[in-house]
Amino acid sequence: MGQIENIALAAGSRVLVEELVYSTAMRMDEKDFAGYLALCDASYKYRITAYSPEIRKLMTWLEHDHKGMKLLFDNLPKHNSDQSMLSRHVTVYTVKFEDGGKIADVVSGLQVFRTTNDGGTTTLFAVGKMHDRVALGDDGARLVDRTIKLDTRMLGIGFHIPF
Amino acid sequence: MARNRQEWLEKPAFPNTHFVDTRVYTDEALFKEEQDKIFNKVWIIACHESEVPNKFDYRTFHHPGGAELIVVRGEDMKVRSFYNICPHRGNALLYEPVGNAKRITCIFHAWSFDTKGECIDISRGKQGYQDRYECKDAGLREVRTEVGFGGFVWVNIDDASCTLKEYIGPALDMLEEHMSMDLEVFHYHKAVVDTNYKLWHDTNSEFYHDYMHYFNRATGMMQPGYFDRKYTGYPNGHASVGSMSIKYDAYSGSQERAVGWPGLAPGGWILIDIFPGMTYNLRTSVLRMDTAIPLGPNKVIIEFRGLGLKSDTPEQRAERVRDHNTIWGPFGRNLHEDLLGVHGQGVAMRERTDSKWVIHGREENSTIHDEVGMRHFYHEWGERMGRKPFDPYGDNRLAKTEAA
Repeated sequence: MGQIENIALAAGSRVLVEELVYSTAMRMDEKDFAGYLALCDASYKYRITAYSPEIRKLMTWLEHDHKGMKLLFDNLPKHNSDQSMLSRHVTVYTVKFEDGGKIADVVSGLQVFRTTNDGGTTTLFAVGKMHDRVALGDDGARLVDRTIKLDTRMLGIGFHIPF
Repeated sequence: MARNRQEWLEKPAFPNTHFVDTRVYTDEALFKEEQDKIFNKVWIIACHESEVPNKFDYRTFHHPGGAELIVVRGEDMKVRSFYNICPHRGNALLYEPVGNAKRITCIFHAWSFDTKGECIDISRGKQGYQDRYECKDAGLREVRTEVGFGGFVWVNIDDASCTLKEYIGPALDMLEEHMSMDLEVFHYHKAVVDTNYKLWHDTNSEFYHDYMHYFNRATGMMQPGYFDRKYTGYPNGHASVGSMSIKYDAYSGSQERAVGWPGLAPGGWILIDIFPGMTYNLRTSVLRMDTAIPLGPNKVIIEFRGLGLKSDTPEQRAERVRDHNTIWGPFGRNLHEDLLGVHGQGVAMRERTDSKWVIHGREENSTIHDEVGMRHFYHEWGERMGRKPFDPYGDNRLAKTEAA
C-alpha cells in the first residue's frame, strides 16, 4: 500500500474515531444510556480521575466496567437527583493508531455545561480531558476504555450521571 | 388542613426544645455572633497530618471564624498554625493550598518568617525602622494546634481554651481503637452549597433522612438491627450513633467487602458528630470526615475527606477508593442526595421566605429515627450563644399575640 493510500486510510479511520467519541457525548446528553453502552465494547472500562493539590494525590472518583455502568444507569430513576441538563462539548485533539490501525488512542478536550430547568441558565460545570482507547474492526469503532481527567474539582452538590 | 399565616407562625405544639426558629439558619447577625462565640472558641479540624508529611510542608486553611491560617510542619516535625497574614502590610503570606517552605517570605516586601512563626528578616529593617521596630516585634500570630483523634490537625483561635482532649471528652471513645494506626487521606474534595452549615450537621445528626436514599430506604432500613441503633449525647454538643451491621449484599450494586477496617465488624458503622460541624463516619473500609466551614448564614464550604490506612497495599487502597466512591464520591449514590437535600433547605429558608420553624420533635427512645441528636446540638448552641434556638431574639411571643 502506498503512502497516500495509508494517509487516506488513517484519515478515514480518524473520522470513524471522532464520530464515535462525539456520539458517546451525544448519547449521554440525550440520556440514551442504552445507546451509549451500545457504542462500548463488552470489556469497557470507565473512570473519572482528578489530581488534588491539597492532598498531593491523584484521586479516582468513579470507576466502573460495562456491567457497573449499566447498573449505574439502571439505578438512576430510583435516586433523587438534580434534573438539570448536561451538555458535553468535546474536541478531539489527537488520534494515535496502534496495532496496524486496529486500536486508537484518543485525547480530547472536554467541557461540560449545566443548564437549569428553571429559567434555563447555563453555567460551565466542569472541564478536563478525555483519554479514550478505541477498537476498530469490520463492524466499525467501539469504545474500549475511557478515563476522564477532570481539572474541575468543585462540582457543587455533585451529579449522579457521569460525563 | 392547610394553615393561614397566623396559624403558620404559631409555635409548634412541642416542648420548646423540640423545634427551632429558622432565623438560626438565615440571620446575618446571628451568624457573626456564631463566629465569635462558637467557631473562635472551639477546636476545629484544619487538615490531616498526612497532608503535611515532611518538614516545612504547609497547608492553608480558611478558619470558619474568619481567619486565614497556615498549618506548617516545622524542622522539629511539630505541626504549628499561624494567621496567614504578614504583620507588615496585611498581605497573605502563602497563596497556594499546599507547599514546602523553609522560610515563609512575603512576596510584597520580602519579610521572612520561620516555621516557628519567628520573623527572621525584615528587608532593610535597620535603615527604615532604626531601633524602633525589629524582628522580635514582628512574629506571626500563633494559633493553638494539636494533632490527634485519627491524626487530624486541630486548631483553636482561643488562647485560653481547654485542651483538645478536654473538648472531645468521651465522644470519640467508640472510635479510638479503630484509629490507633496511622491513617492517610486518599480523597479530598469540597463543595460550596448555598445553605446553613448547621443544616449539613443536622443531616449528619439524624438518620430519618434515609427516606431520601432509595437503597437505604428499600433495603438498608429493612435489615434487622437498623432500628436498634442509639444516639448518645456527650458534653460540648458532640453525639454518636452506635454501630450497626449493614448487610451490604442486600444493597443492589454493592460488592462483597474484603478489606474492611481493623477492629470494625464486617458491615459495621460508627458515626460521631463533633460540635459544631465535623463528622467522623466509619463504614465498610473507609473513614470519612466532613468539615463544615460556613462563609455566611446561607453559604458553606463542606470539605470531604476519605481516609484509609497508611500501610495499605495498592489493592487494599483501590478497594477503599471503590467503597468510598460508591456512596460518598462526587458521583456517589448518597452524597449527591444529601447535598441536594440541604441545598433545598437553603432555597426554602432564605430570609423573606416566611419560613418560621424547623421541627426536631421525633422521640423514639433515642434510636435511629429519633431527633435527639439535633436537640442535643441546639442545647449546646443555645448555651454558647446565650440565646434560645426556638426564640433567638425573644420576640416570638408576637406571633402568639397575632394568633390570639
